[in-house]
Amino acid sequence: MNKIVAWIDARFPLTYFIKHELTDYPTPRNLSYWWGFGFLAGIVLVIQIVTGIFLAMHYKPDSSLAFDSIQHIMREVNYGWLIRYLHSTGASAFFAVIYTHMARTLYYGSYRRPRELLWWTGQGLLLLMMATAFMGYLLPWGQMSYWGAQVITSLFKATPVYGEEIVTWLRGGFTVDDPTLTRFFSLHYLFPFLIFGAVVIHLVALHTVRSSNPSGINLADKDNIPFHPYFTIKDLFGLGIFMIGYLLIVFFKPDLFIEAANNIPANPMQTPAHIVPEWYFLPFYAILRAVPDLAGGVVAMAISVLIFAAMPYLDRSRITGGARYRPLYRTMFYVFVIDIFVLGYVGAHPPTGTLKAVGEVCTTIYFLIFLLLPFVSRWEEKFVLARGLPPAVEAMARKEIAEAEGNV
Amino acid sequence: MFKFLGFCLMATVGLAHADEAQLKRGAHVAVEVCSACHSLKYIKYNDLMKLGLTRAEVDAMRGDKDIGGPLLSQMAPNDELGMFGIVPPDLSLMAKAREGGAVYIHDVITGFYTDARGQSANHAFPGIKMPDVLMVAQADAAGKKEIDQKANDVSAFLEWASDPQAQERTSLGRYVIGYFVFLTLLLYFLKKKIWRRLD
Repeated sequence: MNKIVAWIDARFPLTYFIKHELTDYPTPRNLSYWWGFGFLAGIVLVIQIVTGIFLAMHYKPDSSLAFDSIQHIMREVNYGWLIRYLHSTGASAFFAVIYTHMARTLYYGSYRRPRELLWWTGQGLLLLMMATAFMGYLLPWGQMSYWGAQVITSLFKATPVYGEEIVTWLRGGFTVDDPTLTRFFSLHYLFPFLIFGAVVIHLVALHTVRSSNPSGINLADKDNIPFHPYFTIKDLFGLGIFMIGYLLIVFFKPDLFIEAANNIPANPMQTPAHIVPEWYFLPFYAILRAVPDLAGGVVAMAISVLIFAAMPYLDRSRITGGARYRPLYRTMFYVFVIDIFVLGYVGAHPPTGTLKAVGEVCTTIYFLIFLLLPFVSRWEEKFVLARGLPPAVEAMARKEIAEAEGNV
Repeated sequence: MFKFLGFCLMATVGLAHADEAQLKRGAHVAVEVCSACHSLKYIKYNDLMKLGLTRAEVDAMRGDKDIGGPLLSQMAPNDELGMFGIVPPDLSLMAKAREGGAVYIHDVITGFYTDARGQSANHAFPGIKMPDVLMVAQADAAGKKEIDQKANDVSAFLEWASDPQAQERTSLGRYVIGYFVFLTLLLYFLKKKIWRRLD
């Protein structure tokens, strides 16, 4: 065995790689379970790719066969129902995990210098994931699949001058139809591998800047422990808890995330009473509808997703540790989380009366939080420094401030 | 943490089994009444034996139709279009395709009444094109009770038809969840053991 490893090591950095990235990779010992969600996201990606490959063996991307082929998978294929429910529930699980992962980054200020590129590669991953999920949702060719795709693709009408042409180009026709289904299937199979590549880039960036930690300060060497075995086992235990929750849904409530209307085959002649996207798009959908004008709504929705990338610049505080030592930032974080849940509720219901107003108010709050952050964070910095901080945190903040002012 | 695991265990036991006799009665109603107009294209005649119906009973239901063939409507779609103005929807997934599922189906079947203008109407589905096949509107109290039973049976059957693997899924699910709870406990203790090295 040793001879084989030596033979490989002379030609490929196998032992070096394992040592450098795993058994010697220094990880802050104080990472909480909130730091385990990146690992979970990686596992869910693998689950989605593997179940997806098996689904594609039995699925027919043809508008006259797609709906029946799903029922074929559910009823005739051995354990087809299990593969399909793992995949359909997996999509929701993926977003739940990624949103938690993002919330942890926002709460602890992990996007701050020097982790901007790590955060931006994550933002890119989110966009790829959203595109993949959206295209995957068309494949069952149910009523909600069809009309969801019809509504979302029509948003590109807001493009100046070439709006109509772009919509037709995306759909491969004047409405969502067979060409749309086949191209979405093709891209839905391609994108996960792009995501996989982007994950590798995300991990390279992570291993360059290393994990942030809840204390906010750079830990002394003695407080960094090897990733393996300490965090492999901690992440595996977290995975066990996740799998219990995920599989409870798969086996006992598999229709939880499947709209009733998606069990009716797509019918271009009959619009469902009320078209809703999947839960993970609802807050953004509510923002889209809160702006009365189509172009304005589309721009607002796009910004609401992309604005996360600006966080390293919007947050001008030099206090480390994110919300931990920053009462105002912490308040804004919780308001933001509540705001998103309310927007999600609004997005799921027809925008009438009070609910319409609530949607508009919450959309305003959503953007106000980002817009006020540069001012609030600077003011809060002075306030927090005057009030006093743990010495290590204060020293780091003062050093950063001095560096910044030296550069001016 | 243990509270959560306890909850997970609780969720995996005590799930109601569908009543086999009811499903068999429901199958009879579906084949003898519903399939006059509706298809159940994802259900085959031999699938009905999984409900406990004997081969002889299924043979009597299918007449000269293939045992491996789907339960199709006894009317041609074109004739139905001429008669009702629409092709009656396939029922295989009906219990999943409507909010309310089996309860909604029951309410539609039993929701017929005669309105003020003497027209047949439905409480659960205004503007329905389906006729009052069980004649709810004319039934007396005893008759209504019998119809209610039939509606319950056929709703239960349609729920089965929309998800025939439900029983297999939940019984397998218990083992899978049990396995993961056990595995997770082991991982928890292993984690404790490994992290103790740092003390």
